[in-house]
This record gives sequence, structure tokens and C-alpha cells, in this order.
Amino acid sequence: MTDQRLASPLRRRAPQSRWWLMALGGLMLATSLALLARRLGWGAASGWVVPGLAFAAALVLVWSPLETAVQGDARRPDVVALFSKDAWVRVVLGLVLGIVTLVWFAQWRFTDDPLLRAVLMPIVIVVALALILAPWWLRLIRQVGVERERRVREFERAEIAAHLHDSVLQTLTLIRAKADDPDAVARLARAQERDLRAYLYQERRSVEDSVATALQRAVSEVEDAHGVAVDVVSVGDARTSEALRAGVRAAKEAVQNAARHGHEPISVYAELTADRYEIFVRDSGPGFDPSLVPADRAGIRNSIVGRTRRHGGDAVVASAPGGRTEVTITIPRKEER
Amino acid sequence: MSTSVVIVDDHDVIRVGVRESLEDDIEVVGEGRDVESAIAAIRQARPQVVILDVHLPGGTGGGALDVLAEVLHDPEPPRVLALSVSDAAEDVVAVVRAGARGYVTKSISGPDLSDAVRRVASGDAVFSPRLAGFVLDAFNAAGGEVASVDEDLDKLTAREQEVMRLIARGYTYREVGEKLFISIKTVETHVGKVLHKLQLTSRHELAHWAATRRIV
Repeated sequence: MTDQRLASPLRRRAPQSRWWLMALGGLMLATSLALLARRLGWGAASGWVVPGLAFAAALVLVWSPLETAVQGDARRPDVVALFSKDAWVRVVLGLVLGIVTLVWFAQWRFTDDPLLRAVLMPIVIVVALALILAPWWLRLIRQVGVERERRVREFERAEIAAHLHDSVLQTLTLIRAKADDPDAVARLARAQERDLRAYLYQERRSVEDSVATALQRAVSEVEDAHGVAVDVVSVGDARTSEALRAGVRAAKEAVQNAARHGHEPISVYAELTADRYEIFVRDSGPGFDPSLVPADRAGIRNSIVGRTRRHGGDAVVASAPGGRTEVTITIPRKEER
Repeated sequence: MSTSVVIVDDHDVIRVGVRESLEDDIEVVGEGRDVESAIAAIRQARPQVVILDVHLPGGTGGGALDVLAEVLHDPEPPRVLALSVSDAAEDVVAVVRAGARGYVTKSISGPDLSDAVRRVASGDAVFSPRLAGFVLDAFNAAGGEVASVDEDLDKLTAREQEVMRLIARGYTYREVGEKLFISIKTVETHVGKVLHKLQLTSRHELAHWAATRRIV
């Protein structure tokens, strides 16, 4: 779990200087200059200049209240809250101005060819309207994105809550009910801890897909049955095959022996390479003399050694009285890819 | 010769537990419960060792990484022992690469933890079986790649692999030494070199650990 934080800090941006005021001023200046030019009689082609400038002014007016919407925090989907009274006035003014210029344009005979006019007119009007409405459109898209993100988060949160309820909360209730039975409490706590760890830190993979998961599962069963703690470390992973499963079973038997006869801590280390699967099971004493195990005890001979040998592997039990016992299980891997 | 430590963990229960389980020659000189208070406590108390939880609130959200980035650049930086319930390889490896001198899980026993603190204080690295497993995985050591020269940062030498394997199998440093017929000092040297490689290598597998869990 890379530490993905659910919430990112709000980014506060300083509102920009009143850019639209400056733009409006510039446009007014331009308009007056254009009028002056007409008065002085040059610029016959400038019949469209004034309406063009008026349209630009309309754009500025309509867009101006939305500067916060385009740059600021989009997590306030409440459009109305963005608007002060004068913003509304600006929008309405801008819309009126824009519509007036478009009406003027619709009447303007910029060419005598009616066909060309009929083609150009709607295109220009549509583009102009799109320009006026663009920021609103952008804002809508952003809002949809924000909404979707919020829904996804909500869903994740619900799922986590459900998981906690089904697992941790239930276990805690059970633990409270069994408070006077330390063994049961320890077992419940261990099982729950394991479950939660798996939920938090591991890719959830099935026993068939991952031999590491299979081994962990097998060891967990022994932990629960015998009330011991076993540390499992796995290196490498692959799909579970028949041979690997035999290795896991043998390891489970070895862990069971360690739980029955040995002291904690018990550690299991499994290493999967291209050509073999090795599992080491080690307890912390008291050790025994393997040659003195009675002939009628079948645990080591059948369940561990016999099982691994059937798959072409081998198992070695190394122990001496007073020392630690370590079982080494080796299963060769055939070409199973 | 007592060792001074600062305990950093966001759970009061764990801090109390760690404090209780440390042996008498280890003196707790400060505590922290988030990134900011941890940095403050470390700068104020100047401990030899910081016992640092991997997941901490505060800072920029990097948890222990934020603390390491701050305090390891101070003059006479403390040595850091990472302590975590996390089994996530990328967390552990990230913290070790950021400069922690060891990593142990919270299930560690009191005497073992005290031993780990002393070890870190004396400049050695502390590897739990789990960390050794992560390292072997990260260096693709199970695939049998062996460094031809010591200076090859991308691979472990055959000896380093042996040492890591034994630690992963639950051997103590002393037992590793006995098994390989080398002194504890030599074992510590190997472990230190592995830690060094882990912190220096730019190996792709380490950076994109989780994404590239190797399927043989």
C-alpha cells in the first residue's frame, strides 16, 4: 500500500487582479478610438469594428464572474454561491450585449451573395454563442469530474467500513464475550490481526494463483489450531502446481511438529527459484535426536520425507537435543510454464 | 554505557509498550506522535537512536520518510531503527533506503528490541527475517544472480546472499556466524554492506517494487 492519502489539501489561489476590469477599459478605449476614426472619415471598412469590440466586451462581461470557477477550487459545486449581485449584473449585461451584436451581425449585408450569407451567418452565430458559453461549459465538466471523484471515494469508504464491521468489530465483540478465556482471546486476536494485515498490505491473491499465499494459509491453520505464532517469509512466487502443493503440505506438517514439540518463535522461510522450491521450518528448541524417533511414528517419515520424495525432492530434519530443530524441504521444479 | 532513544509512534499504547519492554540500560529521552513532534523531540533530546514507526501522521504525508529527510541532515544525526506493523515491502524498503539502519516488526520481543537498539547505536545494521526476505526478493537473489565483484551495487555477493538467507530463516547473527564459520563481526560487516547496497542501488526493482513482484 503506497501511502495514498484520500484527501489532498485544498489549494488556495489568490484571486487574480480584476483582469476583466482592465479588459473592459481597454475595449472602451478601442471603441472610442474606432468612433474617432470614423468621425475623421478614414476606415470605411471599419463598419464591423464597433460591433466586434462590443462582442468582445460581452465576452469579458460574461466570463468575468467565472474567474474563480476556472481557477479556484472546484469543490464548491454551488454556482449560486459564487455570485455576488454585481456578478449577476455583469452576466446579464454581457448576454444582452452579445445578443445585440449577434442581431446586428444577422442584419449586416457584408456581401451581396445570399448563399454565402446563408452559409456564413449560422456558423458565425454558433461560434459566437459557443464562445460566450464556453466557461460555463468548462465549469460543468469540472463539476462532473469532482462529483465522480467524490462518488468513488464514498464507495471506497463504504467498502472499508463494511470490511471493518464484518471483521474487526465482530472479533472485538467475541473477544469481549470470551474475556475470561485467554487462549480463545489470543487465538481470535491472532486470526483477526492476520486477516487485517492481509487486507491492508497484500495483494489479495488466491491459493491457486500464488504458492506464497497457499503456504501462508497452511501455516495460519496450524497457528489457529495450536495457538502459536509463526513468522512466514516468502521470496519469489508462482502459480501453485501439484509439486509445490506437496511442498506446502510437508511444510505444514513440519510447522505442526514445531508447534507441538518446539518452543516459539517458529520461523518459516520459503524461497522459490526457477528450478526449485525450498522451505525451511525452524523452531527455538528444545531439539531432539532424530535417530531415536520410534519406528511407529509416521509424521516425519511419511508426511514430510515421503511426500517430498514422491515429487522428486527431499526433506532433511536437522536437530540435536538442546539445540534448535530445522526442517529443510526441497522440491525440484519441472518445466511447468 | 546507556543508550538514549526517542520513541516515535502515533499510538500511545505502542509507545508505552515499547518504553516498558526496553531494558534498563536504554534510556527513553523523548517521544513523538507525529512528524512535527518527532522532529522537535529528536532535535531537542539529541538521542543516539530513534525508534521510528513507518506510518506517521503529519508532515507532507510521507510518514517516517519526512522525519528521516529532516533529521538525517542535522549535524551528528541519530541512528534510526524502523518499527512497523506493516508487512508491505515497499514501505519497509523505502524507509531503509531513506537512511534507517534497520527494520523490525512490532511483534518483536523486548530483549530482541533492546538488542536491536544497542546494535543500531553501535553502528551496525539490524535485519529482521522479513527485511532479509524483502532484500533477497528485491535483488532477485533467488534467481541466483551473484555479484562478481564486491563493488557491484546491483547484486549481492554469494556470501551476502548466504547471510541474508540464514537471517530470513530465523538465525541470529551469532548462529549465522557459527553456521558459516565466520565471526559475528564478519556477519555484521556483510549485513552492513547489504544495507549499503540497498540504500545506494538505483535498481529498477527497488523503485518499482510492488509493481514488479516477480513471478517465476
